[in-house]
Amino acid sequence: MSRELLAVDQVSMIFGGLRALDDVSFSVGSGEIVGLIGPNGAGKTTLFNVVSGYCRPSRGRVRFDGKDVTGQRPFHLARLGIARTFQIVKPFAGLTVLENVTVACLLHHPRRRHARQKAWEILEFTGLAERAGRPASGLTLAGRKRLEIAKALSLNPRLLLLDEVVAGLNPTEADRTIELILNIHRSGVSILIVEHIMRVIMNISDRVAVLNYGAKIAEGPPQQVAQDPGVIEAYLGEAAA
Amino acid sequence: MRRSRALWAGITAVVFAVIPLLTRDTFALRVVTEAMMWIGLAVAWDVLGGYTGYLNFGHGAFFGLGAYTTAVLMMRGHWPFALALAAGGVLAGAAAVVAGLPTLRLKGAYFAIATWALARAVQQLALVLEFTGGPDGMRLPPFLNPQFFYYLMWALVSVIFVVLWILLEHSAFGLKLQAIREDEEGAMALGLKPTTIKIQAFVLSTVPAGILGGVYAYWITFIDPASVLGDLVTDQSVVMAVFGGLGTLVGPAVGAVLIYAFKTFFWAYLSEYQVLYLIILGTVIALSVVFLPDGLIGLLTGRGRAEAPRSPEPADENPPELREAAP
Repeated sequence: MSRELLAVDQVSMIFGGLRALDDVSFSVGSGEIVGLIGPNGAGKTTLFNVVSGYCRPSRGRVRFDGKDVTGQRPFHLARLGIARTFQIVKPFAGLTVLENVTVACLLHHPRRRHARQKAWEILEFTGLAERAGRPASGLTLAGRKRLEIAKALSLNPRLLLLDEVVAGLNPTEADRTIELILNIHRSGVSILIVEHIMRVIMNISDRVAVLNYGAKIAEGPPQQVAQDPGVIEAYLGEAAA
Repeated sequence: MRRSRALWAGITAVVFAVIPLLTRDTFALRVVTEAMMWIGLAVAWDVLGGYTGYLNFGHGAFFGLGAYTTAVLMMRGHWPFALALAAGGVLAGAAAVVAGLPTLRLKGAYFAIATWALARAVQQLALVLEFTGGPDGMRLPPFLNPQFFYYLMWALVSVIFVVLWILLEHSAFGLKLQAIREDEEGAMALGLKPTTIKIQAFVLSTVPAGILGGVYAYWITFIDPASVLGDLVTDQSVVMAVFGGLGTLVGPAVGAVLIYAFKTFFWAYLSEYQVLYLIILGTVIALSVVFLPDGLIGLLTGRGRAEAPRSPEPADENPPELREAAP
């Protein structure tokens, strides 16, 4: 594994009586694509919220590029180079697609005019340029998921957290999104991706971590994880294992 | 479209500038002076109410704070008007920082309640304090020059409008406000600090209100807690902005002129039916909220603030969380 970029160290997240994350440790190396999978409610999105600063973990530390960033607010982490998308997409519905991306570009281009120029480049790269002038609320689901990626990419991140950006798309759209993710990766961005669709995770991940009931039950190369009895049991029930 | 809007704003400013050359009628001048004041108040309210999505139901408190600051400094401190006026603006802005720090972390409805309560508290304070004259209010030195106040109001409202126009429509700031209005969590992920930006917006909204309050005090020469700290200033600003079209600046300005003209007409020619004014106004507002959510300006330009998808794809109507719950 190459140099460690993100390290999640014994993180637990407790909501009242619910242990959403239970002593989870894993890491993302510089230049890696790490897949995060697990059944519904396994804690994947909670882990994303911890890493991106939306939740402060009850226990444990998060390190980014060697620095302890546990509990730092999302806007600080965005500045440090952690960008995320939301599973339940969050377009600025009343703004146009271009304006949505321009807001994100303001992080590194504080003047609105410069940010707008940069936003055009991002829209070209993500294939949204044709829809630049449309209100974001008018986009299809595929468009809105793509807009999430475009906004995250505008932050010029070193680590990109993708939360189910492929789920819900038809096969053509899914292929285009996977291609986009691989292009982003080639430009030097490390990626942590949560996805339900196994085909996606197995094809693009260097490593896969599996969560079940808040705990990490397996980690390793995709093929190895797919054959892990514990993983099969978590997905298909005991009988199948 | 933006260019043509700027052109219209310029033409409007020129028209307002030449009105005093055309008429010596002091009633007419007075009416137009006040109309301009309402334009200023409504567009200032729109910064927070329209662009940021936080309904400030204490706008009048900042207007009154400016009025009282100007009056107290001129009468008790013998400050010159210009300095006292500036102090009124500064104090209104400072009050917004103090009030905004705890309240702008709240969600919209709680903010509305908090600002409403703040306005009532400030009014009570003016009633019980000695240096504000309590319920008797304060008299300012009369300076009876309608032309002076006309052009002062014209200049101030023009500056307010242009500054807000540049900041909200052409600079990064306006875009950040709208992003926070549309989705605060999503905005945070993009590096925006919502509370800081909202406080900046609150200040930008209240400083003009404070300054206009100061001008009003010196112009009318008498203020008391009911006239400058009552509900009226807030209510009218809100209604003008909503009726005209939130988050557009031009909309609230148009709303201010129309509603103020309607009110003046009513009071001048139909004063026996005054009770009807509020009934009609209330009905118009209710109707416009239901049928014209983007206000008059949305009706005229065909493009509202928050445009709904014209042809949503049926498959898109199910929120993703529902779809995932399905087996």
